[in-house]
Amino acid sequence: MRMRKLILSLLFTIAFFSLNAQHPGYNAVTDTATFKHQFATASQKVNTIKSDFVQEKNLSMLSEKIISKGKFWFKKDNQVRMEYTQPFQYLMILNSSNIYIKDGQKENKISTKSNKLFQQINKIMVDCVKGSAFSNTDFNVKIFENKQAYLIELSPAAKTLKEIFKNINVLVDKKDYSVTTIEMHELSGDNTTINFINKEINTSLPDALFAIH
Amino acid sequence: MRCLLFISCLLTLTACSSSYKHLQKTPGDIDCIEKFKPDFTKALYYTEVNIIGKHLSGLLLIKLMPDSTTRMVFSNEAGFKFFDFEFSPNGNFKVYYIIDQMNKKAVITTLRKDFEIVMMRQINMQHGYMSRDKDSAYNYYAFPQEKGFNYYITDTACSKLIRMERASSRKAVVKVTMQDYANGLPDTIGIMHTGFNFDIGLKRLETPIH
Repeated sequence: MRMRKLILSLLFTIAFFSLNAQHPGYNAVTDTATFKHQFATASQKVNTIKSDFVQEKNLSMLSEKIISKGKFWFKKDNQVRMEYTQPFQYLMILNSSNIYIKDGQKENKISTKSNKLFQQINKIMVDCVKGSAFSNTDFNVKIFENKQAYLIELSPAAKTLKEIFKNINVLVDKKDYSVTTIEMHELSGDNTTINFINKEINTSLPDALFAIH
Repeated sequence: MRCLLFISCLLTLTACSSSYKHLQKTPGDIDCIEKFKPDFTKALYYTEVNIIGKHLSGLLLIKLMPDSTTRMVFSNEAGFKFFDFEFSPNGNFKVYYIIDQMNKKAVITTLRKDFEIVMMRQINMQHGYMSRDKDSAYNYYAFPQEKGFNYYITDTACSKLIRMERASSRKAVVKVTMQDYANGLPDTIGIMHTGFNFDIGLKRLETPIH
């Protein structure tokens, strides 16, 4: 009998740690409906975001990190501007269904309508900052939390994304429901983390920032 | 009619003539080109690729691994990986990852050969020889390959690498420049294919690998 109890408690302990091993320090959110509602309500109040970002690309096999920095702007409904300033100059503007890219002297305009992968990546970016990631059918969504943050785990459901990403984690600050970090985990074990710092919410942003000529 | 035949013959002969026929084998120290071999212990390059109207850009990380292989990972600015190659000292080559759109034998072979000439890997000093054009101010260091030759072209004093050429028996297929060396690494690398619109430009980035 004692032995049975011991085995049972061991099994419970293993099961408990297995559940949390996925995201150490985080527990699964059971009441997802409340969270979704709160997140959507908070996101509705966000019209613009201005922020700096630090991007870290981890190449696991090579034990190397490549760090780049830049500035980020978001304006409702679906306008995003990301400008890398270090160690290279690179500008990306997402505006509705169009993407504008400038690297060096080269300019490129891409219609996401003609490129499914760009369309999906574009949607991730906008969904993450808009708070509508839950309704993106390209992903299965799980939510975890700790004292300071929510962790939204997006597992690709669509084939093209499944071939690239293992999952994408979006960290949301509990104080203001703003996105602090986006982690993109590749199947190879490499990952890219974008940390948003010095955030300014609802500051006035001119439309010209997102203009694609 | 005779005139037309003559022109056709002339065109055929011109087309078949070798760009390297003017070169004459000359005794010389072929080891001198070793100093141009880039020291890719760890290097990061901002990279632009133009291929038949398409444009890609991103970061190319080159790293010498503890097992003496060289890894080359190319990803875009946002971290989206295009390819991850391994070059072994014995000439072996392995693809760890390549995106579907680039996963074609011809693309992989072309990239492999382009970077092998940059790394100066496929040069067997025993089979190499020096040639010179009597009217030219350049030395041509030729190294036979499975198909064609790799040429490393320097000034006559072998103090400056002018360019490298991957060539068939008749003409250059790829022209490569490596300029402004610092600490054993070229600051810029240019790879240009002569037969079709495909070129790669690399500019060294100093700081951001940890």
